[in-house]
Amino acid sequence: MKVFQTIIAVVLGALLIYAEADFPAWASSKSPANAGELSQYYIKNIYDETLVPNMVTAVLADYRGYDTLFETVVVFTAGLAIFAILGTGVMREKKTAVPAPKRIYSEPPFDLIVRISTRMLVPVIQLFALYVLAHGHHSPGGGFQGGVILAASFIMLELSSDLRAEAAKLTHRMSIWLGIIGIVIYAGWGTLSLFFGGHFLDYDMLQALFPLDPLMARSHSMLIVEVGVAFTVSSIMLLIFRQLVSGGYSIPDKQA
Amino acid sequence: MIIEIISITMIISGLFFFLGAVAGIIRFPDFYTRMHAAGKGDTLSTVLVIGGIALYYMETHHWEWSAILVALKLLAIIIFIFISSPTSTHILMKAGFDAGIKPKLKENSENNTTSEES
Repeated sequence: MKVFQTIIAVVLGALLIYAEADFPAWASSKSPANAGELSQYYIKNIYDETLVPNMVTAVLADYRGYDTLFETVVVFTAGLAIFAILGTGVMREKKTAVPAPKRIYSEPPFDLIVRISTRMLVPVIQLFALYVLAHGHHSPGGGFQGGVILAASFIMLELSSDLRAEAAKLTHRMSIWLGIIGIVIYAGWGTLSLFFGGHFLDYDMLQALFPLDPLMARSHSMLIVEVGVAFTVSSIMLLIFRQLVSGGYSIPDKQA
Repeated sequence: MIIEIISITMIISGLFFFLGAVAGIIRFPDFYTRMHAAGKGDTLSTVLVIGGIALYYMETHHWEWSAILVALKLLAIIIFIFISSPTSTHILMKAGFDAGIKPKLKENSENNTTSEES
């Protein structure tokens, strides 16, 4: 039987290596995925229209701004849905319908190695999250990725040390408010261009705010929009983690 | 030329250690020895492979500053793996020990929980 499995693995590996020669070259503009008219338009015109070298970010935050705005709303709605299903529905600790069991929020056992290495890694991870967020114009990244990395650093901090003390610093109410603030940053920045005579999310009109040409206004507007996305994504990720790890009880709970 | 040989040697030896780690995960008898193989082999081989790639990249790009910058980023990944991989192995071992998984010892040894053979 083991011989049979080995034969399957070897044949599949040989097929993969053989098929690898047919792949298009890395970042080739003529690969089959880019054959459509729209893709060719993006490839030819994106840098002239937005001054953003990373096409994915430009398409995501500028050309399809509506899509990304409502993706952010979807993330926020998912967080609210999890809160509505798992949470007790009571934000204040006194009105909790069911008394929290004692085993919830049991702190992880103290471990010096984990504590020290987390302390070394977490600042670097948070700095890298900000880098991914701010450097999304030039390299793979953006609001969603940066927000998730930021939330992951907080989750790591809470898993490795005192969950209750870390969680008390950012309550459920505050993280929902942060999610709302992120959406308001995004939608508000889109609405702002209405006042300068453009359409919704039409960043060209915002050149009145910047002492720059309209192309740079588009580029900077994408950064602001991505910051809003990062707010929502990171706070909602943290909210989902807290809901799952605590079984839905609100975190600053002094009874248990 | 010499640098290329060094980097290729590093990458190939890294792949060899990866092979050892895979064989260890499959062949070793219990949880602790498997984690031991995974942790040690993974860390060393990842470091070797990424170090070899960094050397090769700098050599083929004629030691320009941009290439050295890429190598520094790879070095940051190496440091990250050097810290995080042994820590995760350690905490998995500890969680397994706390959950009551007993290491597989020789049959005539008496104290099952305190002695730690690898």
